[in-house]
Amino acid sequence: MSRILTTHVGSLPRPPELVELYRASPPSPDLPRRLREAIAVILRTQRETGLDLVNDGEFGKATRRSVDYGAWATYVYERLSGYEPKEPRGGSILGKSKDRSDFAAFYAEDESVRETVRARPRAMVCTGPVKYVGQAAVARDLENLSAGRGDIPPGDIFVTAVSPASIEALQPNEHYATQDDYAWAVANAMREEYATIARAGFTLQIDDPGLVVLWDWWFARERSFEEYLKFAESRVEMLNHALADVPEKQLRYHLCWGSWHGPHSTDVRLRDVARLLLKIRAGAYSLEAGNVRHEHDWEVWQEVQLSPGKRLIPGVVSHSTNVVEHPELVAERIERYAKVVGRDNVIAGTDCGLGGRVHAQIAWAKLEALVAGARLASRRLF
Amino acid sequence: MNSKIRTTHGGSLPRPAALIEMNRARSEGQAVDDRALSECLAASVADVVRQQKDAGIDIPDDGEFGKATTQAYDYGAWQSYIFARVSGFSPAAEVPKERLRRAGSFGVALARFRDRRDWQTFGEFYRDPAGGAFGTGKLGETRGGGIGGGRRPVCSGPIRYTGHAALKADIDNLKAALAAAGVAQGFMCSVAPGSCARTEDAFYKDDEEYVYAVAEALREEYKAIVEAGLTLQLDDPGLPDSWDMANPEPPLEAYRKFARLRIEAMNHALRGLPQERIRYHICWGSWHGPHVTDIPLRDIVDLVLEVNAGEYSIEAGNVRHQHEWKVWQEVKLPEGKVLVPGVVSHATNVVEDPELVAERIVRFAGVVGRDNVIAGTDCGLGGRVHPQIAWAKLRALAEGARLASRQLWRSA
Repeated sequence: MSRILTTHVGSLPRPPELVELYRASPPSPDLPRRLREAIAVILRTQRETGLDLVNDGEFGKATRRSVDYGAWATYVYERLSGYEPKEPRGGSILGKSKDRSDFAAFYAEDESVRETVRARPRAMVCTGPVKYVGQAAVARDLENLSAGRGDIPPGDIFVTAVSPASIEALQPNEHYATQDDYAWAVANAMREEYATIARAGFTLQIDDPGLVVLWDWWFARERSFEEYLKFAESRVEMLNHALADVPEKQLRYHLCWGSWHGPHSTDVRLRDVARLLLKIRAGAYSLEAGNVRHEHDWEVWQEVQLSPGKRLIPGVVSHSTNVVEHPELVAERIERYAKVVGRDNVIAGTDCGLGGRVHAQIAWAKLEALVAGARLASRRLF
Repeated sequence: MNSKIRTTHGGSLPRPAALIEMNRARSEGQAVDDRALSECLAASVADVVRQQKDAGIDIPDDGEFGKATTQAYDYGAWQSYIFARVSGFSPAAEVPKERLRRAGSFGVALARFRDRRDWQTFGEFYRDPAGGAFGTGKLGETRGGGIGGGRRPVCSGPIRYTGHAALKADIDNLKAALAAAGVAQGFMCSVAPGSCARTEDAFYKDDEEYVYAVAEALREEYKAIVEAGLTLQLDDPGLPDSWDMANPEPPLEAYRKFARLRIEAMNHALRGLPQERIRYHICWGSWHGPHVTDIPLRDIVDLVLEVNAGEYSIEAGNVRHQHEWKVWQEVKLPEGKVLVPGVVSHATNVVEDPELVAERIVRFAGVVGRDNVIAGTDCGLGGRVHPQIAWAKLRALAEGARLASRQLWRSA
């Protein structure tokens, strides 16, 4: 390659018709056909925008509102057995969040973040054995991609799947004897989805905000960072087990600190988990680097050596502001990473999925800025 | 010389609920006791100066509390306050449309908000209530300033300064608060002529006469602030963001003539006042929009430096302007002048990591020298982000400045 490749994290703005179809109850018979058409269009649109590594916009993951921060994770409701909608015995999953307690007035009063909370569906709770039942759903997603990809090589197409830690973070356990038993059950169940995606020749992207947000949700107020690190190490072990059937080159790992528009005051520092992340058997790491809590994280890679054969996908545009990144800033960010880890080991990405998190017009303007910035950087780097 | 990076901010801070409530009641025509309001204002200013000191802000202000807001989210008080302090403006509805001339000259005519180029490019976003362009505040409410039912008042007669009593109260409140908190230097914001004279005019012969009349009137405010021993901050988003209000996009040379006229008028208003007491603040408008049509700093930086000010406060902490630190590699900051780059921003709810703040400060110090940087904010935080976020950002700013100071003076 003689230039910086571009990609994004997954969610793209859904066409309004698709949101309507998902909302329909009973399910609309038009949905499968319209979904397939929409995916063919979105693949082409991404390529026309100048994105190299593309996906289905997560359109196969049901969203019923144009503002939706959760589809990346809630889609498993139809792919795992063992869950039911109910109030968790232990109260809200966010009940112990330090960020939410330190900024309680903000979370209660501010419209821009309340929207995030409103968009969240009712909690699902694990009340029975967790089994993978999403064979038909994942097959449909993969067929839609194969049908719509045209001349895009399958390896240039990524398919997102939620990590076990994120499932365990969002869906409390009321069935298994211990939290670890529950987490292992989830990992074993999801292994099938991961393997299926890889077998189809696509790149699997694991979405794993759960690994770091659980510091804030479970640990920050009462427990030590050492305890958290031990927990995080165990989750990485479980994840690697679930990924045993996926070749490293076909795997990219996405970590973000949660995409809601909050202060993120308690985010775990990348410095403290970077070495742990490198134990995940992934060929590429997609990490937030385009928002004000993580923009300086590039410095970490001066101290922590990226293992040979691994690549970084820093976020160079972000959902965390409506302001559209200037292409010169995008280029500056890319060049900074290229200097530290080598130009061939950097792919320009986004902090998180843009769809559902910023307005569709802003999302596309940001992707255009990403492509324009990568061009500027390529010209200077190659 | 200082042996550390000093800290300040863009001016507006979150108003206490009691103050907002009183101002709202008054704007709705209810009887509000003058003394109760002025006591509330004085006490609020005393509190906010102490809070700034506790947060680590070296050069505080009165939070613009004397500039009335009637709701927690308000993007416009920095300019709307002036319509209660000068004569010559009236509600747009009272002036026949055919008499109104849009502000501007040299072929640059300022459009209404909805006709801005950014607005037109991103119309669906701006019209979507969930888009978040204006936080919780509704557009009309944030710009009315209590006159004209949401539209900015227009110029209909001779402009004279009439705000002496309100200005004196602001100055007295801030000076008392600084003394009580044991803070040596404070600043006070005042709108720049070009940012005031953006509304339509039905009285003056032409743009030049209009802008100079505003400048002459505002001189009284500028003088009083400086003579009181405070740093005067001139708020002039109009200089860069009128570019977006000129639709279609004007030739750059025409725009620069339009801008230079405004700067000359401002310098005229500042005649005889000491530069070291004057800070010039520009930003590209503080609403939460895409800002893709913002004029590059490079195209106006020489004009900015023509302002007779000792300090230049410029957005640098948001994703549209962060890269412009490089401009100072090409354009030399004149001897004795100080940059006040925004190192935290209202443009995101995420609170800047102090390490990022330090990185930004060190980058600027590397270009213009550590003694010529004061760490600031992109714009006033009050009314633009939630109060808890605003204060967390100010604390992050102070912490980042401490980290940067340690790096920058360690090597000396």
